[in-house]
Amino acid sequence: MATRLSINEIRYIIDGVEQDFRTDGRAAEDYRHVELESRVLPNTNGSARCKLGKTEVLVGIKAEVVDVDVHAPHIGKLVITADCSAVASPKFVGKGSEALENDLTNILSFIYHSTETLPLKELCILPGKSCWQLNVDVLFVQCGGNLFDVASIALKAALHNTTLPKVRVSGEGIEMEMEVADDPYHVWKLDVSNWPICITLYQIGCSFAVDPSEEEVACSEGYVHVGVLPSGDVSSMEKSGAGNIDPTVLLEMVEVGVRVGEDIHNQLDKQLEAEKSLAKL
Amino acid sequence: KAVVSTQSTGGLRCDGRRPQEMRKLKCELGVSEGADGSAIVEQGYTKVLVSVFGPHECANRTARNHERAIISCSYNFASFGAAVRKKKMTADKKTTEVGVMIQNTFEAAVMLEKFPKSQIDIYVQVLQGDGGERCVAINATTLALINAGIPLKDYVCACAATVFQDSVLLDINNLEESYRGPLFMLAVMPQTESIVQLQLDHRLHNDHLDKVVRETIQGCRDIKVLLDRQVKEWTVEAAAAYEIKPRV
Repeated sequence: MATRLSINEIRYIIDGVEQDFRTDGRAAEDYRHVELESRVLPNTNGSARCKLGKTEVLVGIKAEVVDVDVHAPHIGKLVITADCSAVASPKFVGKGSEALENDLTNILSFIYHSTETLPLKELCILPGKSCWQLNVDVLFVQCGGNLFDVASIALKAALHNTTLPKVRVSGEGIEMEMEVADDPYHVWKLDVSNWPICITLYQIGCSFAVDPSEEEVACSEGYVHVGVLPSGDVSSMEKSGAGNIDPTVLLEMVEVGVRVGEDIHNQLDKQLEAEKSLAKL
Repeated sequence: KAVVSTQSTGGLRCDGRRPQEMRKLKCELGVSEGADGSAIVEQGYTKVLVSVFGPHECANRTARNHERAIISCSYNFASFGAAVRKKKMTADKKTTEVGVMIQNTFEAAVMLEKFPKSQIDIYVQVLQGDGGERCVAINATTLALINAGIPLKDYVCACAATVFQDSVLLDINNLEESYRGPLFMLAVMPQTESIVQLQLDHRLHNDHLDKVVRETIQGCRDIKVLLDRQVKEWTVEAAAAYEIKPRV
């Protein structure tokens, strides 16, 4: 995963991005081919596998019934955990992956923590008592740059096919009881129409690009994560990495991020709808 | 105990298999571009991905061996792999043990003398666990090493078995593992039929030992046939890119 580039190679890559013609022929706003597969893990409530360039991610969502958070008694919970598998690189054996995993977990949790944007109310079972907690495990099987975007695309796809058992609530007041359905076909699906995806824009030279290859990441200074909703609104934003970003460039970055984000949402939604017609559930 | 085969189900097991019937095996080589060698093996619902890196320079100079390569192995079980979610824990005793077991297995099978002073890394990631994860891991590691071009003395094929009411059940799944009967795992080099690894949990009656060993070795031989078929297919495909027609 460590890329060693010569000064001339770095110059070449930076020039390419600034002239909107990168080493592989893409424009600064172009994503590479995305490969997405849904429902790949039968042990989970929802899952997806996404491959983009040299990065491959597996997302598994398992749901469990838990007590509500005292500060937010009417909504459910979403817990995201990132895991960089050793199969991706020898650097990730044992504690080697901790730093990257923490970074990934924090950024992804940040993108998906906004209670105003996420329909977490759907996950509430008994207000003030019980709710669904979605445990999202993001497993990186190959790491080749642009990890956040791939993870969020896979996450949206996994959420799209997540099925939760129907819960029957009976009784009143203190004696409220809930019964989780046993029948595997007695399920309901989440409404994913308002979940964001993360678009990361990397500052390279005086310009910026999306979906960089590993070599391009090595030439970048600083990057901005933009959480983009299907409506085109920005739900969250965070700047990471070492490097200063010019405020005017930042505004342009967000603009491009929103444009790219909306496009990806459209294409993703189309594909997921098409998948629905293939699946029986 | 309707988990395993009974008279009422016509001698069939909980998933419809006959006692010595193995689960469906699917395998693929070269799935991970970043690794020197990689493979995925699926037996029933158990799916394991293995990546091999090396031979490369020893990361730890003190561990270096001047006569042969050393193997370092790490085994990981994904959080979403089991029916009940398992939080990730680094250096969990059980997973370390399995890592060491796989390392020992392949120290016997890989021609380590060809690469003195180097290190070969084997990383195992269990994506889905439905019983027999150690065995599937060994099978996948064999394929990953072949994919990496590391010379092996022979395939290493592993199979797990249990005994129920005097009959041997091969390639047990999670439900069958949980009924607490004897859990017998064997890793074999099929050509010479030499046993590379043997593990037994719980009690097994001496009278059953011979039968279990014979049946499990047969199971391993059957696995070798399938793995070999996939290796030959992959070789032909890979060679086609260079316009070579290998003799398989």
